[in-house]
Amino acid sequence: MGAPRTLAAKLLRAVVRLAPAESRDWAAAMLRELDFIEGDLAALLWALGSAAAILRHAASVWRAWLQRKSEKETRMNKTGKKVLGIGLGMLSALALVGCAFASLRILGILFPGLEHSSWAYWLAVMAIPEAIFVAATVMLWRKKGPIAAGILATGLVMALHVAVHFTLHW
Amino acid sequence: MKLRLSPQTLLVLDAFLERAEEWKYGYDLSRVTGLKSGTLYPILMRLAEKQLLETQWEAGEPGKPPRHMYRFTPDGLRFARANAAGSADASLGQVALGLAEG
Repeated sequence: MGAPRTLAAKLLRAVVRLAPAESRDWAAAMLRELDFIEGDLAALLWALGSAAAILRHAASVWRAWLQRKSEKETRMNKTGKKVLGIGLGMLSALALVGCAFASLRILGILFPGLEHSSWAYWLAVMAIPEAIFVAATVMLWRKKGPIAAGILATGLVMALHVAVHFTLHW
Repeated sequence: MKLRLSPQTLLVLDAFLERAEEWKYGYDLSRVTGLKSGTLYPILMRLAEKQLLETQWEAGEPGKPPRHMYRFTPDGLRFARANAAGSADASLGQVALGLAEG
């Protein structure tokens, strides 16, 4: 066996060893064909061409893998953004309710007796925030859907809470 | 079926159409088509990925590693008959004149 053929065999064996699983069979097939090639130089040229073919095939396999990975990450990012948006919407809504409570307390200090008035209570803590929630949901629904959903969910929970309160106490 | 039918691919399809029922080896295909391994194998890989070609390891003599062989699937045979007939001759000329891309 001449030096070029030895080199060709060594090159293709290395290719078989290093090739990704999807390309390994093909590399092994090319290595096997080496035994049937007449002429050492022809064998070396065969090995060089085969190595290039496997390299291209492996590159396309890796490219497809990277593309799939990137698509998966994009999908995960989208889900994360939605969850974040819903959370942000809920936090905003709760902050508004907190502000309503705080305003009622301040008004109670400024105008004693007002805090204990039921109409002021329902107006400040229920009617105004709920109206703001509905308006915000309508305004944000198309452009900031997750945030709008978060606000709407908080509004619904509050409305449910009030309904339960009425049912139990009245 | 989306497959780039380069003159080299047409040559390979034409080689497979010769006694289509028989299994063929890579080096024999290279000799028949005149294509180097770096051109031939990517074509074989694409054809196999598109399920146009079936591959098999031939159990050879004891102690010797098996040899990879190739043959048209029924889909491949239909595809080749529809696309290779007539166009292979023209592509042969192109390859011989060095007009076709690698």
